[in-house]
Amino acid sequence: MSKNLKKELREAQVSIAELQDELNRSNHGMVVLTMELENKANELIRVNRELEREVLEHQKAEEEIRNLNEGLELRIKERTTQLEAANKELEAFSYSVSHDLRAPLRAIDGFGGAIMEDYSDKLDSEGQRLLGVIRKNTRHMGQLIDDLLAFSRTGRQTMGSIKLDMSVIAKTVYEELNSLTSERKLRFEIKRLPPAYGDWSMIHQVWMNLLSNAVKFTRPVDTPVIEVGGTSEENENIYYVKDNGAGFDMKYVDKLFGVFQRLHSASEFEGTGVGLALVERIINRHGGRVWAEGQVNKGAAFYFTLPKNEGDLR
Amino acid sequence: MNKRIDFLTVDILLVEDNPDDAELTIRAIKKHNLANKLFWVKDGEEALDFVFARGEYTERRDEKHPNVILLDLKLPKVDGLEVLRRIRADEKAKLIPVVILTSSKEEQDIIESYKLGVNSYIVKPVNFDKFFKTVSELGLYWLLLNEPPPNHS
Repeated sequence: MSKNLKKELREAQVSIAELQDELNRSNHGMVVLTMELENKANELIRVNRELEREVLEHQKAEEEIRNLNEGLELRIKERTTQLEAANKELEAFSYSVSHDLRAPLRAIDGFGGAIMEDYSDKLDSEGQRLLGVIRKNTRHMGQLIDDLLAFSRTGRQTMGSIKLDMSVIAKTVYEELNSLTSERKLRFEIKRLPPAYGDWSMIHQVWMNLLSNAVKFTRPVDTPVIEVGGTSEENENIYYVKDNGAGFDMKYVDKLFGVFQRLHSASEFEGTGVGLALVERIINRHGGRVWAEGQVNKGAAFYFTLPKNEGDLR
Repeated sequence: MNKRIDFLTVDILLVEDNPDDAELTIRAIKKHNLANKLFWVKDGEEALDFVFARGEYTERRDEKHPNVILLDLKLPKVDGLEVLRRIRADEKAKLIPVVILTSSKEEQDIIESYKLGVNSYIVKPVNFDKFFKTVSELGLYWLLLNEPPPNHS
């Protein structure tokens, strides 16, 4: 073989060796790549499985929430039915109280009166006085029953909501009261009152209680004055009833609106101590508040607020 | 207080289960000499027997109806509203003036009573003096002032 051919052969062999090296390297590279690919593929499978698991967990959680919600709704329905039943029971109880308790009272009062009439010649003045005490107490109890019933009813009945002309209501109530005490010279001043939203009969009751209190507690005064007014504030209207009567000591102001709480004895002023509690309950149900100021023997002022807008009622 | 012969000519039928209330009512009616012909029954069933001349009152068949019925609501056997319903359902008896005299101030009772066609609804005052005055006024009104429906039985 010629020298050139041998050289070419050797060069070719080197090229082949180099190529083989390259091929080996490429192969190696491919193997590495393939391994990497496999790894990546495995990782993808793993991540996918994890995702699947997470999705399943989410679905389970959603179903649990749905079940809980259904359970809650069921419990709400049950609780509402229970409440309605309890309310009905309370209604029946009140009805029973109103009907059954009044009858024996009437009998005590009536038969006491019968004794007074038929046996007055056989009863000395002390005997008649004792009988009188019995009858007076039955009347007081009758009033207590009525007031308590009214109080309990206010907490339960559904409220209406209409626009109320407060001036008209206050004036009408005062006229009703005035017709019962016409002999007294009472000065009644009423300013223009802003209208409010509420339940007519409940608010009528509020005016009735506040004004009848004013009338009652100004009895010992020579020139009794009752003033009614109201102002329209930003979010609410404030109404007041002021009188120059017996008043009260401010240190007892917290007791004023309690049920059966009285600051005077029954011999000074009659009453059951439920009137103001009723006022507070009604005004609270309307979303308002009540408060009072007073001075012994100088007079008292009772304030209450009512929301301006229809939507604010509870 | 009343029985056999008395139940024939009757001006006032008092339907009242409580004997004390009945006694007080009768006492008030007597005060104005209106009690001449008052008859008292103690439950709803007796009231219906009386009005429709049944049971122990069959002898009332040809008698005229009372001028007014004073009816309590809470009665044993047949309650006041049911008595009212049955009276108003009868062609002849429906004209009888019925005055409900009850302790109940409940709105439901008042509404039902008027729906059934009661002529008047009076709540028995707890205060006896007021009760006495109320019953006296009732008696005077329904027996002296009011014109009852013409004689019928």
